[in-house]
Amino acid sequence: MFGWLGRSAARGILTTRYPDAPPTPSEAPVSAHAPEPRPAVPISPNAVAGCPVRAIAPDGVDQGRCIRCARCLAQGFEFSGPVALATAKRPDRPEGPGAILGGAAPLARLGRSIHVFLVDVGSCNACNLEVLSIAHPQYDASRLGIFFTNSPRHADVLLVVGVPTEAMVEPLRRAYDAIPAPKAVVATGACAIRGGVFEGTPGLRSGVDEIVPVDLYVPGCPPPPVAVLDALLRLIGRERTEAPT
Amino acid sequence: MTRAGWEVEAGDDGPVEDGKRALAYRADDGALALYNDYDRGRSILRTPKIPGTWSVRTAPAPGAHPLAAAAEVAGYGTFTFPYGPISAGVPEAGKFEVRTYGERVLGLVPVGGFKTRSVATSVLGLPVADAGLRVERMAGNLSASHVSAFLAAAESAEGRPVPTAELYVRALAQELQRLYNHVRQIARVAEAAAQNVGLAQVHALGEEILRLQGSVFGHRWMFGALLPGGPARRVDAADRDRLEHALGGIGAEFDVLWSLLLESRTFVDRLQSTAPLSKESAIASGAVGPTLRASGVGWDDRLRAPTPPYTDLFVSLPNETAGDALARILVRGAEIQASLVILEQLFDRWPTEESITEPAESPVGPGRGIARVEAPNGDLVYDVTVADGRVRRLQFRSPSAANWPAFAASMQDAVFTDFHFAFESFGLVFAETDG
Ligand code: SF4
Ligand code: SF4
Repeated sequence: MFGWLGRSAARGILTTRYPDAPPTPSEAPVSAHAPEPRPAVPISPNAVAGCPVRAIAPDGVDQGRCIRCARCLAQGFEFSGPVALATAKRPDRPEGPGAILGGAAPLARLGRSIHVFLVDVGSCNACNLEVLSIAHPQYDASRLGIFFTNSPRHADVLLVVGVPTEAMVEPLRRAYDAIPAPKAVVATGACAIRGGVFEGTPGLRSGVDEIVPVDLYVPGCPPPPVAVLDALLRLIGRERTEAPT
Repeated sequence: MTRAGWEVEAGDDGPVEDGKRALAYRADDGALALYNDYDRGRSILRTPKIPGTWSVRTAPAPGAHPLAAAAEVAGYGTFTFPYGPISAGVPEAGKFEVRTYGERVLGLVPVGGFKTRSVATSVLGLPVADAGLRVERMAGNLSASHVSAFLAAAESAEGRPVPTAELYVRALAQELQRLYNHVRQIARVAEAAAQNVGLAQVHALGEEILRLQGSVFGHRWMFGALLPGGPARRVDAADRDRLEHALGGIGAEFDVLWSLLLESRTFVDRLQSTAPLSKESAIASGAVGPTLRASGVGWDDRLRAPTPPYTDLFVSLPNETAGDALARILVRGAEIQASLVILEQLFDRWPTEESITEPAESPVGPGRGIARVEAPNGDLVYDVTVADGRVRRLQFRSPSAANWPAFAASMQDAVFTDFHFAFESFGLVFAETDG
């Protein structure tokens, strides 16, 4: 026992200062950012054709589709903008490329502390693990009043990862119904937003919002833990307000 | 086709080789079966075309198959308890049918198919690089193994030469991911054993590895990093220095946590003789990876079917014989230490040619290739046919698919409270099983 305590003391404080400070580069690697055309570089037909998930159109990038493959870097794009955070709008193209970057209004509709029920409806497992890592010492979500629960009856938030398969449509509906109101649904990751790299595969739904109403979308494949934290903090009105850098 | 010390006999399904059958039936016909003959150090790959779901319908019992037995147990007061597809403590969508009359588990049938994204069929017709983006998402926490096996098979199909440095990058990614998975598995088992303090610190180590991967490859799960035409980011000398330094710290920290965990009586006692798998039953059920090595069979593809750069490394890999949850965790702990040695050797021998030649634009030639990789949870096999640079056929056998029957066998006669220790000690992933 003393061994463990000594170990904790020796390691010191690991926990991020987010949301009081912006995420550091180690908390938000390249893929945590949203790809955008470099300033004054028009979107080229090669960039449009080269995107494997058709996220690039001549007039902007659909961040909800983007899987962060970095292929467009060779076509005049860069990943240097702010960290891509949650949005209340499905980040499809009509809103324009900047619409998701810290732009959503806080929902502030749940109490000061929330219990999150994680549901996988067809993920690759990376989204699940990123979501669960907000409980680990580097993020320590409990200090912010965010907890996981194993029962939908005790949950305020339904956090969904993965592209919905037919087999998970009913279980997802039942989980949603089992959560008492007021409740919020967070679609986490490109798969949950609109199918991600699997969009269009027969037998898969294009996004969780085809099944249950979604309050927040978290882009990324997978979104980093700070983006997951941001989404949950928005639900309790504690998100970082100034645009993260 | 013969590949470095192991025989691949491809073709339609033949007669069942008694007790040697590792079966993974899948809903689509992407089924592969691998017959491992450990006495002769030989593997035979078959591609049976048997429809059905992989999990519920497993091997039609040569002898008493554990799953067949589970389905048959009946009697006063026995009932089947469905657990899932959204189940507490299992962070993935999957189901278990538990046959029980209360506390004791008479039989357990894992049921998959809730996460089927049809990766193997959805890549047909795609260029190899685009298909790779889906293959690495077969299982995000095993992406480096899946994509390395897929690329090796596709490259061998086309006869495409691969720069040595690229093979080193793949091995680097695989070993980093092995560290992550083993660390996480140990943390999950500690979690089940209510080792709260240790748990947080082991999880913290896992996050450090993800951050390291993110800083070197630009992506915390290394997606896109191993593909032809992937990100411009390459592993240069400065990256390797940074990696060596960081891994030194991670290794030292792990050693301390590992000895503290093993000193904890609650942790060790809880795992000892939990969910045991005998050597015979490990072989008969077709177990692979740390599960097989914990039951006394020393098969590791890095030693027994090595491909470069593993052919040039000195690899000493641990085995255990007890076959229980503790043995499976001991194997993982020792493999973390072994992987750190392998990583050191990779950095020492890193090929000097820093320039990586871009893959040729025009396809080299059509063909079929088979590749085998030791993923963190076991032996992974890809069988890929490529023509005109596009994937024409893809089949694979994931380590999880091979290990489900072993998990079911180990749970027979267990009590339900053993479930989480057992499950976490096997490292099973529904995503790669469903495909
Ligand atoms: S990173 Fe990949 S998926 Fe995202 S916009 Fe660029 S090319 Fe498309
Ligand atoms: S969004 Fe990406 S990381 Fe998340 S489940 Fe889908 S493929 Fe995996």
